[in-house]
Amino acid sequence: MAVFSRWTKDHWGGALLVAVGAAVIVAALGYRAGTLRQMGSGFFPLVLGVLLALAGVAQFVATPFARGNAAAADEPPALGAEHAHLAGPVVQWRGWSCIVGGVAAFVVLGAHGGLVPASFASVFVAALGDRRNSVRDAALLAAVMTAFGVAVFHYGLRVLLPLWGG
Amino acid sequence: MHESLVNLMYGFGVALQPDNLMWSVFGVLVGNLIGVLPGMGPLSTISMLLPLTYVIPPVPAILMLAGIFYGSQYGGAIGAILLNLPSHPPHAVTCLDGYPLTRQGKGGTALGITMMASFFAASVGIVVMIFLSQPLVDLAQHFGAADICAIMLLGLLSGATMSRGSPIKGVAMTVLGLLCGVVGTDAISGTPRLTFGLAELRDGLELGCLTMGLFGIADFLVSVNRTTVEPSHARVRMRDMRPSGAEIRRAFWPMIRGTTVGTLFGALPGTGPTITTFIAYALERKWSKTPERFGRGALEGVAAPEASSHSKTQVDFIPTMSLGIPGDAVMALILGALIIKGVQPGPQLISEHPDIFWGLVASFWIGNVLLVILNVPLIGMWVRMLQVPYRFLFPAAVFFIAVGVYSARNSLFDVGLVAVIGIVGALLLVLDFPLSQVLLGFVLGPMLEENFRRAMLLSRGELGVFLERPVAAAFIAASALLVLVQGVAFVRRRRAVTPRGAG
Repeated sequence: MAVFSRWTKDHWGGALLVAVGAAVIVAALGYRAGTLRQMGSGFFPLVLGVLLALAGVAQFVATPFARGNAAAADEPPALGAEHAHLAGPVVQWRGWSCIVGGVAAFVVLGAHGGLVPASFASVFVAALGDRRNSVRDAALLAAVMTAFGVAVFHYGLRVLLPLWGG
Repeated sequence: MHESLVNLMYGFGVALQPDNLMWSVFGVLVGNLIGVLPGMGPLSTISMLLPLTYVIPPVPAILMLAGIFYGSQYGGAIGAILLNLPSHPPHAVTCLDGYPLTRQGKGGTALGITMMASFFAASVGIVVMIFLSQPLVDLAQHFGAADICAIMLLGLLSGATMSRGSPIKGVAMTVLGLLCGVVGTDAISGTPRLTFGLAELRDGLELGCLTMGLFGIADFLVSVNRTTVEPSHARVRMRDMRPSGAEIRRAFWPMIRGTTVGTLFGALPGTGPTITTFIAYALERKWSKTPERFGRGALEGVAAPEASSHSKTQVDFIPTMSLGIPGDAVMALILGALIIKGVQPGPQLISEHPDIFWGLVASFWIGNVLLVILNVPLIGMWVRMLQVPYRFLFPAAVFFIAVGVYSARNSLFDVGLVAVIGIVGALLLVLDFPLSQVLLGFVLGPMLEENFRRAMLLSRGELGVFLERPVAAAFIAASALLVLVQGVAFVRRRRAVTPRGAG
């Protein structure tokens, strides 16, 4: 789409804010807004939704369009100082899927397998997200963390999750 | 004045009780330990250890959290100086001169000076806190709902607009945070709001879940396979840390000036510690007879910003504890933890829970002494911690986050939610939105709504009440002025900068 190719990151950000703001407004209209004197539960979210959408519009309007065909994805993110050491492409499918997968593994195995398999799987899967970790490294790290986790969280802090079985 | 001293003695009595002291020491140690790890700032450290506080009483819980906080701040300075990696944004300035010093083999001296400056600044901040809190509380007793609302508005606005980057983004993230605070059952009408029809969200978002998603998972998602930080091979021994007489003399006045800047800014609601350190550094460079040394390893450039950030932090506890209005995201997190423990922040906190407030004050000082005692002999161990590679660090942290979030409410739903929040947070980070504002909004949101509703009920729906009450009017005027100034500055910047992508 020719129109979108001139959008910078800030245009996408603004559009996102408008979309979320609009969704909040729609949701808030479903609650009772009430009057200023007797505010209903919808009043505060409605105001916030409008503010968010307005901020999005302001950001969109205040951002100059990119000239030429500079696609939004080509721009490096200008993260804060705590992220200044990062380099390379933002898109990291392997890393992302493994980190999210690690958390998901904890949820699934936590419900059906118990603390031990959930701990092991979460560390193992997440560790595979880093290109420099071999399967052996990941398994070792997972084993160490599981032992540590069981000692601290099960015996020490008495987390309710059973060691084995849901 | 006399009263404050009596209270302080009482505080030491509380903080020195074996149980409380133990948790405080534990917090300082663990905070320092995790804070040293590359990429672990105070926000992620505190949120990961937050679930621990759910099992202990409020007083030791808050002492431990405070200990974790300044422990991780000290730890972060080590990473900033030896590794050039600021895990906590305020340390970014410390890197400018701290890392060149390390490359010259003077990393130990820089650490020693940092420790000295931090300790001095924190002590000054604590003294200010002791003498300023009581008058502020006496004043705040007369604040009505409308006044509190106006103060919160100013706090949120200045936090949103004076942080890094565009003020519009800051405001947007604050509003998003306020919306996160809306999620759950409305306390007055009982209506579930913004819950997507999920029963699990009826009780609202859990604080730890939100922060670990935004500052843990999101951070790993943008960092994985992209970090360029090499493990540090800097060797620092205990005796390297002792600065010479000449070095102390050189760092002395910058330390005093940095402390002053931090103390002054601490009293302003919403100004973050990062901006404070930048101002302290800029001031120091301006003051110096040899400004060209800055950026190449000037001790002054380490002492002043570190001192300012530590005094700022201490003084920040004043509005956090006495008004219930946190100055930055870390304070918001600590405040949020207090609310979870059933302690209502606000003017009544100090009179209703003197053990928390004065115990905290005393424990600050105990904690800072402890840090100095700990850090000097343990420096060799901290340096080794810096060598833990990121590829081992983040998978372990993912596990801690999962267990931590689960244990807060025994809910696996929350664990899944932390991944979703992480993805959203990463998206927002890539789009250059400042995430710490979300946390500030989240913690203040429910209080803001409650006070606004109450103010409107009392004034029979007249918005004019905000201009009739002198305190409220003053803060509303200050907010308006802030918006005006920011607006003008924003338009000017836009004109000065050529469109991005043009070159």
